[in-house]
This record gives sequence, structure tokens and C-alpha cells, in this order.
Amino acid sequence: MMFADVLTLLVNSLTWAMATFLVAAGLTLIFGTLHILNFSHGGFFMIGAYAAYSLTQALGGSESMAMYLFGALAGGAVVAVLGLAVDRLVLRRLGGVDDAYVLIATYALLLVCEGSTKLIWGLNYRSVMPPSVLDGAWVAGHAVIPKMSLFIIACGIAVFVAMEYFLNRTSSGRLVKAIAVDAWMARLLGVNVRLVYTATVAIGFALAGLAGGLLLANQTLSPSLASGFVIQAFGVIIIGGMGSVSGAFLGSILLGLIDAVGQWVLPSLPGLPFFIAMTLILLLRPQGLMGRRH
Amino acid sequence: MNPANRRDILKYSAAAAASTLSFPALNLAHAQGGPLKIGLITPLSGPQEFIGSYVKNGAEIAVDQINKAGGILGRQVALEIRDDKANPAAALAAARELLGAGINLHTGGISSAVVLALIPVMQQENGVFMTCGAGTEKMNHENYSPHLFRPGDAPDARGRAQARLMATKYPQITRWTGLIPDHEYGRTMWGIFVDGLLEFYPALTGKKPEILDPILLPYGVSDYRNSITQALRQQADGVYNATYGGDAITMFQQARGFGLMQRYKVVCDAANEFLVARGMKQQLPPHWTGMHYYAEANKGNAMSERFVADYLTKTKDPEPLGWAAEAHASIYALAKAIEKGKSTDTKSVIAHLKGLTWDTVTGPRTLRAEDNQAIKDVELVYIEPAATDKGYRVAQYQKVEGKSVLLPASPGKKLVLRTA
Repeated sequence: MMFADVLTLLVNSLTWAMATFLVAAGLTLIFGTLHILNFSHGGFFMIGAYAAYSLTQALGGSESMAMYLFGALAGGAVVAVLGLAVDRLVLRRLGGVDDAYVLIATYALLLVCEGSTKLIWGLNYRSVMPPSVLDGAWVAGHAVIPKMSLFIIACGIAVFVAMEYFLNRTSSGRLVKAIAVDAWMARLLGVNVRLVYTATVAIGFALAGLAGGLLLANQTLSPSLASGFVIQAFGVIIIGGMGSVSGAFLGSILLGLIDAVGQWVLPSLPGLPFFIAMTLILLLRPQGLMGRRH
Repeated sequence: MNPANRRDILKYSAAAAASTLSFPALNLAHAQGGPLKIGLITPLSGPQEFIGSYVKNGAEIAVDQINKAGGILGRQVALEIRDDKANPAAALAAARELLGAGINLHTGGISSAVVLALIPVMQQENGVFMTCGAGTEKMNHENYSPHLFRPGDAPDARGRAQARLMATKYPQITRWTGLIPDHEYGRTMWGIFVDGLLEFYPALTGKKPEILDPILLPYGVSDYRNSITQALRQQADGVYNATYGGDAITMFQQARGFGLMQRYKVVCDAANEFLVARGMKQQLPPHWTGMHYYAEANKGNAMSERFVADYLTKTKDPEPLGWAAEAHASIYALAKAIEKGKSTDTKSVIAHLKGLTWDTVTGPRTLRAEDNQAIKDVELVYIEPAATDKGYRVAQYQKVEGKSVLLPASPGKKLVLRTA
């Protein structure tokens, strides 16, 4: 294998990994804090993408980098507001109920997201041009590195660093972690747990919407967008350890690498090494890479 | 008596809903004294919903037109519509329900897996099914059943017409590869296209084409970069794409960053019609694609012009895609077979569908009696990005005579193709 092949393979795997991590970040944050597995997360990722699309198209297109980033941030803001409504109407009622009810309720929310998307944006496929600075590729010898790939990798790393900093280096973040471990004790100590939960939901949903906007030029927009990414996102948070941000980050890198190498070695069986690896990791470490055994 | 609380109301509502859902067949059976019912089983949710919506609209327009003209044998026609989710299990449940309710004539079905799954149930329960776009060749070969008809393009006619067009228009492009989704339809279309290349290049250009291993792409994923990188390593001049709908757009978008599509001198797409063009607009890589029906090419055909006008009225879409036309054609085929046999009985309808010639939006078609496959001209268009409202334009158009590319009927036998 030549150096160019290794470099391409590495960039491809990191692109997959960071795109998946961007979607998984909010999912794992909410699970880690509220212990709610939000099956509708992909739906809100999709709404974030559509919101960013509509906004940038209304303002003249996404060719400028500033407009593209503005669209992504606006998508995140729209979905954060929706998250507050979902928290008020649905998530608060799910505290302490059986996991099966949580699954059904959040799956129903996913259907609401898909239905709303069809009503508002229709069934047509849509796509956008990447900003002109992200169009094209850098060529290093025989390696072709698309600029969009490097942008996705940078976004994923930036979100990971920001989340790690927030959770470990700020008092608000430490509070979130403390509540995740023992909400009862935090409440006894006078912490407004409800407020922290609401803020966590808003951040988690904002991350979903932001991911939708940042990945806008990476894939097709259609009402079935939710399902494709959310399965990957669930895969990496399960592999990484449910609720662990760094676990999701590592899990996405590991699975991205396995997928890329697998496709290199077994091109006639695309996807197979990915699922074999997931099975093996879960057999060897059922709690995930960074999860704790209960 | 205590007033009913919210829980009671919910409970009773659920029970009422459940009882209705449990006996749909009974409800339908009561209704069979009225209009002539035709089952429409097509995806109305899930990833194929978009295409299913064309099937539904096309069938509804045909039914409206027939009803306005007095119906079939004096009876008004009504569609019983069911969602198959492009999933064989859901399609089987829908088919059993409709057959159980006495509805024996059906159309829809755009997924190969769905259509193959429906064959045994149609045979056992004495139904008739018309597919509006499934691409499997097996239904006319090893899985042939007299109960299943394809009133539209055969995969062998489509793929071989495309190969012949490539040999005619691009005689210097002899090194080919494929971007092929790793499923039944993708592998079938690649095999047929290769068969066509191996026949038509030597015959028309005197050159033997070089066929490279196709790049197999996983189905329904969000990232195709590893496959795109594999494709970059090949030195092909022409590429056959069989990825479909949203997958195709995602793949083309990601390939743009690598400059992959620009490396090929010609891109031939199996069947996306205008799906990719509408989704990508200015980003579109110029390419040939197969159409079940291209309205512009059928100007002067009164049935086509009326269909376009009715489609516009119904959906505000001035450019119906081919799946709508196939559903429309299937309803008219059923209507004509019923009228010829003066019966809706399955045996009579099958007997009169076999060998039937009927008018459609693409002109007259004939259902080959031996294997229930329509003989229909293949419509191919070359699309390129353009500074128009639509964002693309059709730069070239070719109609290939169906008879000249359709392989001979061989029901019950596996399709044998040339391989590189």
C-alpha cells in the first residue's frame, strides 16, 4: 500500500467518523445526563439540515463560507428551540418510566419529524453546492483530499474539544456530570436539576441541528435522511459506551477506520467488516470502549 | 354513572380503532358491489415513497380518465391503495388483505424484492399483478408466473439499449466500469449492460470493450468516499451508474470533491430519470439516463398530452416522471383486457392481457404472450446542468426500438448473459 493510499484511507475514515460523531454528540449527551435514549435524534438532525437549507437558499445560496456557517448555526438554534418544546411536552414525562415507553415515545417523535418534513418541504430530493472555498480537493502526490472532508473532520474535532472543555473545565459542565451521576444528591444540595436537564436537552438538540447544517453539502436532503445517520450514530455510542462523549468520539474513529480498511481489503463485500467489528467489540466489551460495567 | 375520564376515552377509542383495523377485508368485501376495485400496492412511506407517489398519481389519473369516459364495462373504477413500504413483508400483507376482500386485479410494485415476493401469493390466491417499474429480470425468467405482468421497460431492453447507444455515440470509449449498488437490481443492470457492451461494441465498432471490475457500493449509507477512492484507482473512460435516487445524489455530491465524475468521458445512468437532475441542478454531472417516459419526446401523442395536462392539474408538476406513466399504462392495460374479455375474472384477464396491444402515453405497446413482458421503445435522454429555472436541460434524446434490444422470451429459464 502506497503512502497516498494510506493518507486517503485515513482521511476517508476520519470524515466518516467525524460526520457520525457530529450526529452522535447530542445523542450521547442527552443519554449520559437524562438517561433517555432519544430515538428521534436523527429526525431533529434532519430538520436542522432542512432549516439551514431553507435559510441559506432564502438568503441567496450557500456558496459563501460565512453563509454556510450561519445556516448551520441557525439550524442549530431552530432545533434547540424545538428541543425545549419536546422537553416540555414529551421528555419530562419520560423520567422514571420503563425504557420501552421511552423507545416508543421517541420513535413516535421521529415519525412526527418525518411527517412534518414531508408537509413543509415535500418529497423531492434536494442538495446544495458546498461553499466555494470547500469545493474541490488538495492533491498531495497521488492522494486526493477533498476540502469538504477536511472541513467535516475539523468540525467534528472542534465539537469534541468544545464538549470536553464544557463538561470538564466549566462549573456548568461539572454540574451536568454531577447530575448525571446522582441527580437526587444534587437536588438535596440545592441544584436546580430541572433547569440543568432543560439546558442539556437544548444543547443536545442544538448539536443535532448544527450537525444537520454542517453536513448539508455532504449528502442528499430527503425525508428519509434521519434513518441513515441515526443508525451509525447509535452504533458509535454503543461501541463507545452509552453516554460517554469521548467514547462516542473514539468509537466513531475506530468504526470509521474499520469500515475504510474493510472496504480496501474486501471490496466485494462492502459494509461486512463494519458489522463484524461491531459484533466482536460488543462481545469482548459489552459496556463499550469507555462505558462502565453496571 | 361516573363521567368517562381521559383514560377511558383513550381505551375505547383504541378498541374501536383496533376493531376497524382487524377487519378491513370485511369492510372492503361489503363495498365490492359498487365500483370495480383495483388494488394499488406501492411504497407510500420510507425511502421509496417519492417514487411511489408518482405511481399513485399516475394510477389515479388513469382511473379518473377512464371514469370520465364511462368506466370499464359501464362500471366506475376505484383504487384500493396500500403502502408496501418497498418491503416484501408489508407488500404480502397488503396483497393478502386485498385478495381476501375479493380484489383480484392489482398494480404498483416498483421494488424487485416486492414483486418477486408477490408472485407466489398472486398465483395461490388467483390474482393478477402489474409492476410499474421493478427491474428484476427473474420475473420473466426463472420466477416467471402467468399472474405477473410488466407493462413497462424490461431490464434487458433498457440496459442493452443503453449499451448500443454508447457503442454508437462513443465508439472510442471502450474501457468501462460500473458504480453498482450491492443488491439484486444493481447487479442485474450491470450484468445486462456488460452483455450489451460485449455484443454491440464488436458489432458496431469492431473493437472489443475492456470491462473493469465494477465498484460495489453499499446500499442506503451516508458515506461513499471509500468506494469513490476505489473508483479513482481505475482507469476507465466510461462508467455505468446504477445507484438510485437519494443514494445517487449523495454519491455524486461526495464524488464531486474528488473530481471523480469529471474523469469519465461519458456517464451512463441506469434509471434515475430526472430524480438526480432535480435534486442536484447545477451540481449535476452530465449523463445519459433511461426514462420510462419522457413527455417532450411524446409530443403529438394525444394520450401523452392529456396525461401531462391532467398531471399538472393534479400535482402542479409539469413534468411527470416515468413511474407515473407506467402506472397509467398498467390501468389502461387492465381496462382493455377486461373489456375484451367482458369479465374481471382472473383467468379471462390473464388470457386477454397476453398478446394485448394497447395505447399508452409512449405509443402502442404489446404484452408479449410468452413471458408477459411489454414490447416498448426505450427512451434515453442526455441531461446536463444549465442556467435555467430547473437547473438542468435535456440536451439529447434517443428512442430505441424495443424489439431490437429485447432478448427473446425464455420463461422458466435463467437469463444467460455474456460475461467479460
